[in-house]
This record gives sequence, C-alpha cells and structure tokens, in this order.
Amino acid sequence: MVISPHLKKKQRIIVLSLLILLVVTCIISICLGKASLPLQRIIPTLLGYGSFKENFILYSLRLPRITITLLAGIALSLSGSILQAITHNDLADPGIMGINAGAGVGVSIFYLSFSINITNFIYVLPLIAFISSLGTAALIYLFAYDKLTGLHPIRLVLTGVGFSLALSGTMVFIFSSVDPFQVDFIAKWMSGNIWGSDWPYVLAILPGLLFLIPYTIFKSNILNILSLNNHVATGVGLKLKSERLKLLITAVALASLAVAVTGGISFIGLMAPHIAKRLLGPRHQLNLPVTMLIGSWLLVLADTIARNINVLLPTGIVVSLIGAPYFMYLLLRK
Amino acid sequence: MRLYTMNLDIAYDEKVIVKNLSVTIPDKKITTIIGPNGCGKSTLLKAMTRLIPYKEGQVILDGKEIHKENTKELAKKLAILPQSPDHPSGLTVYELVSYGRFPYQAGFGRLTKQDKEIIDWALDATGLLELKYRPVDSLSGGQRQRAWIALALAQDTDIIFLDEPTTYLDIAHQLEVLELLERLNREEDRTIVMVLHDLNHAARFAHFIIAMKDGRIVKTGTSEEVIDRNVLREIFQIEAIVGKDPLTKKPLCYTYNLIK
Repeated sequence: MVISPHLKKKQRIIVLSLLILLVVTCIISICLGKASLPLQRIIPTLLGYGSFKENFILYSLRLPRITITLLAGIALSLSGSILQAITHNDLADPGIMGINAGAGVGVSIFYLSFSINITNFIYVLPLIAFISSLGTAALIYLFAYDKLTGLHPIRLVLTGVGFSLALSGTMVFIFSSVDPFQVDFIAKWMSGNIWGSDWPYVLAILPGLLFLIPYTIFKSNILNILSLNNHVATGVGLKLKSERLKLLITAVALASLAVAVTGGISFIGLMAPHIAKRLLGPRHQLNLPVTMLIGSWLLVLADTIARNINVLLPTGIVVSLIGAPYFMYLLLRK
Repeated sequence: MRLYTMNLDIAYDEKVIVKNLSVTIPDKKITTIIGPNGCGKSTLLKAMTRLIPYKEGQVILDGKEIHKENTKELAKKLAILPQSPDHPSGLTVYELVSYGRFPYQAGFGRLTKQDKEIIDWALDATGLLELKYRPVDSLSGGQRQRAWIALALAQDTDIIFLDEPTTYLDIAHQLEVLELLERLNREEDRTIVMVLHDLNHAARFAHFIIAMKDGRIVKTGTSEEVIDRNVLREIFQIEAIVGKDPLTKKPLCYTYNLIK
C-alpha cells in the first residue's frame, strides 16, 4: 500500500468505530418498535431460547429489515462513490441523477399494467428496476454526450437532474390516471418506504450484490484514475471509455437493486462517499470500506428513526431530511 | 526514429486544425513546439499521445500505429502531462505520483517494491521527497507542477510529452522545471517533447524546434535555424532582433515589435 502510515492507522480506527456504531444502532433498532424485544432477550433469542413471539420479532421482523437496510445502504453508497468518480463531481448521487426515478417509472408502469400481487413481484422487481434505470442512464448518457468533446462530467450531472425532474413529472401523470388504491403502493415505494422487509427480498437482491460489491472494491484503482482529469487518465493507460461504461452500469445496477426493495432513497449515495473522502482522502482502496459503513449506518439510523416516531414517515423522507441540508452545505461551499 | 507522424490531419468536428503534417521526433533529444495561439501545437501533441483521435494519416511509434496499440502498453513507452490538470482534493503527493505506476499494475493496485523504488526516484528527481505526504492542494504552483512531472516520471517511459509545463510559474520555477527536464534528457537519455510559449526558453533548451502556424509546419531545425528573424516574422508577425545569449551561446530574442 502506498499510503502514509498515519492514514492507514486512521482508517483502522475509523472502520472500528463505525463498526461499533453500526452494531449499537442495530441493537437499538431491534429493541425499539411497536412489537419490541427487550435488550436482555436479544442474545437468548439469537441462541435459540426465545419464545415464539420473540423469535417472530427477531427473525421475521427486525433482522430481515435490518439486513435489507444494511445491504441497500452499502449499494447506494457504492453507487454514489462510482458516480462521483466518473463525473468528477461530489454532488453526484443515483437519486439526484435520476437513476432512482427511472427505476420508479419502470416499476410503476410494470406494476400498474400487470396489477399482479406483490409476493410474485419480488424477484422480478430488481430486474424491472435495473432495466428501467439502465434505460434512463443510457438516455442521460446519450443526451450528455457530445461528439466533439466526449462526455463532460458536469453536463452528465445536469442532464441527470433534468431527467430526474422529468421522470417525477411522468410519475405524477401516471398517478393521476389510475385508481387511487394502486397509487398508494407506488407512492409509498417512491418515497423510500422500506417495504421489502422479509427474507425473500433479501434473497432477491443478494446474488446481484454479492457480485457487484466485490467487483466495485476490486475496481478501486480504476476509480482512482477515473477521478483524475480525462487526459491524465488516458495518459497513464486507462481504457477510459470502456472502464467508465462498465462502472456506470455497475453504479446503475447497485442503485436499482437497492431501490427495488427500499424505494426511492436519495442522498445516501451523496453523503457517505463524501464523508469518507473528507476523512481519508480520495484513494478508493482506503475510503470505500468507510463509505460502505457510513452508508449502511446512515440508512439503519434513518430507518430506526422512521419506524419509531409517531408520525408516519417513510425512511426515504428521513434520509432526505438529513441529506438535503448536507447537499445545500456542499453547494454553498462550492 | 521511434516516433513520427505522416500526413496527419486532425479536426474537431468539421474544423480542420492540423493539415497534412509529417514530422519526425528525434530520439533522445529535447524537442520544442512553438507557434502562435490556435496554430494547432497542443492539438498535435494530444494527437501524438492518443488523447484525441486524428482524421487522416498516421502516428507511428516503434513501427506501430499508436491507435492500434494497447493504451496501457503505450503508457509504458510515453507519458503525457496535459496543460494545468486538476486533481481530486485531498490527494497527497505520494498518492498522485503513485498513479504513474498504473500501466504496470493489475487489479487492486498494490505497489510492488519496484513500484515504490521508482516512485521514490521520481519524487527525489523532482525534489519532492520531503513533501510526499502533503496534500497536493497545499503545494505552491511550482511544487504542484513538479508533482505532475513526477507522476509522468513514475511511468518510467523513454518519451515524455509536456503541454506548456511552465504556464503559471514564476521565472525561477520555470527555469527549475526546464532544468529538470534537461537533466533527465542528459543523464537518462529521455526523449522530451514539449509545447513552450517562451521563445528564449525554446531556443535555450531545445535540440530541435518545430515552428507551426495555421496547422502546418513552417520550419523545423535547431535553435539557430528556427529562432531567426525571417522565421519569427512569418510565424508570429513580429520583427525581432535576434542575438546570441552570452552565457549559453544560444539564439536570444533581444526585442521585438509587431509588424505594422
């Protein structure tokens, strides 16, 4: 490793602290809620000494939901990290750039036109979300691409923001033209209501993530070079176009898997990589592990808050309540 | 003759920037490209280093057309420092320079002992060893430029291209950079190709000068042949008085005026 010993040590401390923070937050999340499991009963239940009710709360309610939230947090934060490297822009995020909205439109159209019941829908959903957000990303890419100068990072972000708005408009149009009962599910989904909180949902997204997460980490060095000026990157021998495309598809796939089970959650992909880079600098070998931990912690935290306040707030809104001010802060700082 | 171009046409969209240009870069020498703004010198540099595509003609390195060669293999033969590149904030000098080892790495990017030796050598050659853990943001303009040169050096190539490496530097730092390049050429036989604006710098440091105007070569040759009244009149539309630098014995523009 090429880093200063100081940074290496700092990374270890940060990773360790975040792990502790994450575990504590998960425990709190297990203990809190309408059907609650007291702190002292967690370990016995885990060891198999729980009552029927305790087992049900832990294994069928809390653990699947926490697992989903953890995985989605990792996927969204990695997706954001890739997008920020590709676009050379700290403000890039799958939600802000319209990739989530693309998945939303695709899922809505599919859901409304086939009006199938949700249980059969689980395993198709990630696929639908992926295809529709990939289509959106391809359109964004196409519109942002310039024959003369190639792909300009800032234009990519702005085009994405434009698409995000247009797609939200499309959603309103779709909503207004179908019956309110069906809209209810989609509306909740869009606002980032972690609805997929059962083991089948974990299974639906796990295979994809088991490939994509290690793949992204393996690409750390490529991400470093991609974050440099395009000419410098080509100069040191990076196959710019093909690597950028591969990683863009990876980012879209990561985001759409998360979005498929959690709904539209923005800002995790913006905040987590940004905080990690502030702490450890722009080398991805160092900052990706921290990015993933921060992403999953933020989402578990937001979900715990969302479940336990009296007003019915979807997790995505809670994340936005934290994320939007952070986004403003970043904008103003620039 | 490792590197040359033949009948090269470079165009941005329909606008032709460089037309039918053939030139051979002398091996193990310092070559400087001069010419007025918009004459296509930077464009030529970019095309010769496969940063931009060309329309017609060929750029040949070691008998092969550069666009057909694997870009990573090419990065082991030639390095290119673009004009005032930006860098991700928070990056340290050592990290930046280590990226020059990219063409030799596979996978995760772990540095081998040899990588580290070359990085240390590049840092030493550019006088940055002391600053290696400092963020690039905190460096002065001259130090920053040297860090970028160190990145190019870490690529360990025989040929190094630089696009206006002295821009934004004060005179002392300009000289520092140029002397470093001269030393690399003298001591390590590296081929250096650079775009320079300062005619006296070009005259002093180059073995071979390419003078361009409107996408064509007006004159090539040694400092004595190119830094000459008639050539300068044609390229820049200036009336120059050229003498001899008492210290380096190279041509020197004492003064010049626009041709009215």
